[in-house]
Parts: sequence; structure tokens; C-alpha cells
Amino acid sequence: MTLLENLAAGFALVANFESVLALAGGVLIGVIAGAIPGLSATMAVALTLPFTFAMTPIPAILLLLGVYKGGIFGGSIPAILIKTPGTPASSATILDGYPMVKNGHAGKALGMALWASCTADLISNLALILLAGWLAAFALNFGPPEFFTLILFSLTIIAGVSGDSLLKGIVSAILGLLLATIGLDLVYGTNRFTLNDPNLMGGLNFIAVLIGLFAIPEILSMVWNPKPVAGKTQGLGKEWVTLAEYKRCFKTIVRGSFIGVFLGSIPGIGAAPSAFLSYSEARRKSPNKDNFGKGEIEGVAASEAGNNGVAGATLIPLLALGIPGDVITAVIIGAFMVHNLQPGPMMFINNPDIIYGLFMGLMISSIFLFLIGSVAIRAFRHIANVPQVILFPSIMVLCVYGVYAVNNSIFDIGVMFVMGVLGYVMLRKSIPAAPFLIAFILGPLLEDNFRQAMLMSSGSPEVLLRGPITWFFWTLTIITLVAIIHSGMKKRQAHITDSSNQE
Amino acid sequence: MLKNSYFISGLVTLLLSLLLLFVAIPFGITSPSNISKIVLSPVFWPQVLSILLGITGVALMLSANGEHDDYVNNNIDDDDEHLKVSTAGGFKRLFLMGILMGAYIVAIPKLGLVWTSMIAFVALSVLIKSSYPRTAIIAAVIIPLVLYLFFAHVAGMSIPQGEFLRLP
Repeated sequence: MTLLENLAAGFALVANFESVLALAGGVLIGVIAGAIPGLSATMAVALTLPFTFAMTPIPAILLLLGVYKGGIFGGSIPAILIKTPGTPASSATILDGYPMVKNGHAGKALGMALWASCTADLISNLALILLAGWLAAFALNFGPPEFFTLILFSLTIIAGVSGDSLLKGIVSAILGLLLATIGLDLVYGTNRFTLNDPNLMGGLNFIAVLIGLFAIPEILSMVWNPKPVAGKTQGLGKEWVTLAEYKRCFKTIVRGSFIGVFLGSIPGIGAAPSAFLSYSEARRKSPNKDNFGKGEIEGVAASEAGNNGVAGATLIPLLALGIPGDVITAVIIGAFMVHNLQPGPMMFINNPDIIYGLFMGLMISSIFLFLIGSVAIRAFRHIANVPQVILFPSIMVLCVYGVYAVNNSIFDIGVMFVMGVLGYVMLRKSIPAAPFLIAFILGPLLEDNFRQAMLMSSGSPEVLLRGPITWFFWTLTIITLVAIIHSGMKKRQAHITDSSNQE
Repeated sequence: MLKNSYFISGLVTLLLSLLLLFVAIPFGITSPSNISKIVLSPVFWPQVLSILLGITGVALMLSANGEHDDYVNNNIDDDDEHLKVSTAGGFKRLFLMGILMGAYIVAIPKLGLVWTSMIAFVALSVLIKSSYPRTAIIAAVIIPLVLYLFFAHVAGMSIPQGEFLRLP
């Protein structure tokens, strides 16, 4: 089938009331959740996941993708209005968004954020449609050794970009890999860390681990330090963004979108670095560079284009290779699993209608994002006023219902609470949770492909170097490791120099 | 050096690695005796990971000099007086939260998910010092009920009803 025929088949799947409603509902939930300080886009996707169990695959996944896209944009609303990013990806938006609010241009800042977000989202979706199929076709040549080296490469990147400390990121990833070994052995079916408990024989429930890691630590942080959100909501002002301003920023938006697409398609980079890179590039090239940081509308456009440009692109490795590009797509991979779908190159062969249905849905989501975003900007004052002391107990109850609903298992609720405590300890010790979760998902794939490769070669490790693809990924892995260690050492040296200067 | 959380994290990581290598893997993993190649054994992968964990732990301990704990510096040891007052009973509240989580799980089979959730909602609101007690109670009743209606009647899932008061 040609690309156009596939797109037509996909459109037929999406052009129904249930899918459109799911998409619109998802964007709405995402924008609201992103706009509430304390609720991240990741948490919103995780909490929405259990509600999709009773749905058919396409609307279910579209709902989650809508939440993802809405959440990324929604995060910019509190970032601009109350200097509190709703999601980490919106941190760069504060730099010029909040000064614009101070100058009485809140409506302009939010309007530009919306226009830039929708434009970048559209470009990112187009990139996904054009690149994912090509990458999947290439990945059809992969056997277990190639997949093993690819997943290993993805893990090195994820560990390397996971926060301030590389070593803590590695600890987190190894713990995730170890946790994934719980259950029956993949080859021999013998017990591994199951304590002969039937609840553990199938491994730990992914959704319980995920919600435990990302939602419960936020509740525990609130318990540790019950405090209201700092900052006051500001009025929008009367000025709105004009077409002339959009045209002036268009080049910056397109550049930011491509930065987002490029960084988003590499597993593990995420939206925040993309937003900052887009912002710094815009400042470097802008004729108004002196106004950056003081309320420059181009700065808002650049950072929002950077973080939204990632949204579609992170789905490229997810759909084409079955590897989550960031922590939110790691959650979305769970939705595929719940609906008995395995993202990856074979999905392009076996379920092309679903793949292209998702593509079409994503294109439509950009329109919904624009419509719902426009309303959300005006309604923000009410959204932001949800008291934290009501929000967090509600999240706890939602978590419990959601996790229980996966397997009708109270044991899973226990797993969620235990993972929550672990997540909180990791938070307190500055150990990032994202590598843990991604490693937990990739762990079984990594081990499975490794052992299949070993079975193919009767235990000879030479199979892991059997062709140009494996060599390519080994080389990338080594280059990445060297780069990560080098930058870690430089950062450490800078820390030591700073400390000695302060003394 | 002990003040540095890198050292403590490294030490804990190393101890965990040793625990895995010498206790959890030998006693927690069943491996068939007729495996000719170690790489195919069920213990191979956990052993490799445990060794890597130990090496990372040692590296963390060695890197303790010159590093600092950003979370602690930025969020806990703040000079802000308000923060010090708020976190004064932090450990006590966390302990109570631990009890609440345990009680939540134990109570579900007895009271049912809906009633337990209502009680847990109110308890957590008290724990985080809600200044909106009336709203909290209303939300505590409505949210578990709405979720019950969705999961039981829309999604068709079985929600535990408990032994005392059953919902339609």
C-alpha cells in the first residue's frame, strides 16, 4: 500500500464520533492537568491510562496522545502567568513569558505560546508521518543482536541525560533493569525473586510501578511539606497576539520545531533541553537579542516551539522501533500493551491501519489543541485555583482505583505504594525516576534479545558484532558513553572550582 | 564526607549490590542444573546488573568529594522560615502517611474500595492540613463515588464492595 492509501485507511478508522471525542477529551484533560501546578503531563497520562482499559485501541491511544499534547501546552499557562512551570518542559517559557506578564502582556504571551505550540505540533506530526515508516522499514532487517545493541544504545542515552548526576541516573536505570527481572524466567520458566508468590510470577505490574513512581512521590512531598502554590494568577490584559507578530516569529517557530523534532526523535532527550536549545538559538539569531529575558515575544515562541516540536517526534522511536523516546511515551507504550499491541517495525506490517489512524488522529489533535487551548487560556484562573489540599487526596484515590482496575488486584495497590515510597526516597536523594521507568520497560526487551542472540549462536558473544547494524550501534554507544563521561567530568570540575572560589 | 549524600547513596547502592549477589540471587532465583553456558542461565542477567550496581556504588562513593545534593540544597536546607516550620513535623506526617497507605490496603476487602477511599481521602486532607475541610469532605464523598460509577457501570469492572454496605 502507498502512503496515501495507508493514510486513507487510517482516516477511516479515526473518522468516527468515539475517536474524535477521545481526542478532544484527551487534549482537554491534558491542558487542564498541565495548567494545574503540581500535576505533570506524565502524571496526567498515567492517571488517564486506567480509564482507557474499556475502550477500543484507537480511541484509547488517541485519548492518551491528546492528554500528552494538551499537557505539554497546558504547562506553559502557569509558567507564563504565575512563574510556576506546569511541566519541566515549560521551564524555558518562564524566561520571557513571565516578564511579559509583568509588562501587562499576559494575553499576548499566552496567545503566542498557543500559536507556536500548535505550529510546532503540526510540524512534529508531519515529521512523524514521514520518518516513522521509513525507520520501521529499515528496522525490519533487525534480528535479536541488532535489537539488543539498539536498546543498549537507548539506555546509555537515557542514563546520560537523566539529571544532574550521571552516576545517579545509572543507579536508577540499573534498579529499573533489576526490578524487571522479577517473575518467571523468559527461557526456562523458573522463579526469579518471586518468593513463590503467584502475584509476582508475572512480574510487577507496569502501571502500578509507573503510577507509584510518578504520582505517589508528589503526594508524599506534599505530606512532608504541605504548602500552597506560590505565586498569584495575573489578569490576561487586553492585548492579544497579532498576525504580524506571528509572522515575525515564524522563522523562530519553524527553527524551534525542527530542533524539537531532531532532539525528540533521539530516545531520552525530552522536551526541556529542546526548549532551552531553541530559546538560546533564537536569542543568538534575533535582532532583538537584548530584549530576551525582559519580555521578548520571540523568546516565548522559541521555547514553546522547542518543547512542542518534541511531542510528535518522540513517537518516532516508539512506533518504528518499539522504544519509548521519553517517560511519557513510556507510559503510552503501556497503553499499547494493555490493548495487545506491540509497537515496532512489525506493527507497520501487521496493523498499518492502526498506525496511520494514529497519524491522522495526531494531525487532528493540533486543531483541537488550538481550539481547546484558546478557551483554556481564558479559564486558567479557575483551573489554577484548585486547592492543593483537595487535589492531592483526589490524586491518591484516582491512583488506587486506576491501579486496581488493571488486574482487579489489591496486591498491585501495595506495589504502587511501595514504588511510591521508593520514588520518594529517590526524589529526596536526587536520583531521577525517569531512567528507572524506561529501564523497567526496556529491561525485558534487552534481556530477551540478548538471550535469543545467545541461543542463536550457542552462547558465542561474536553474534553481537555480526554485521554493520550492530557495529553502528556499538560505535554510537561508545561515542555516547565517552561524551557523557567527558561532560560529567567537566561538570564536576566546574563544581569543584565553584566550591573552592566560594570558600 | 559522610555529610555528602553521594557517599551515602553510593554506600547503600554497594550494600544492595552485595545483598543481591550473596543473598537474593543465590536464594531467590531457581536455575536449572543442566545449563551448559552461563550466559543462558536465569542468574546471568541479575548477576551482571548487580555487579554493575556495585561498581556504580563505588563510583558514587569516590565521587563524593566536590559534589553536592541539589535537592537538599535547593529544597530542604532552605533558609526560608516558613519552610522550616512546615517541615518541622515532616517525619511524623510521613510516618502517619505510611500507616494510612498500609491501612488503605488492609481495609479494602473489609470496607470496600469506595468507603475506604472516602475515609483515606479525609485522612490525607487532615494530614496535609486542609484549610478547606467542608470542600474536602464533599470531594471525599463525590470522587470515590464517581470513580465507582465509571469503573463498575461504564467500564464493567468489578470493584470490591466490602462486607458491610454494598453499593448498587
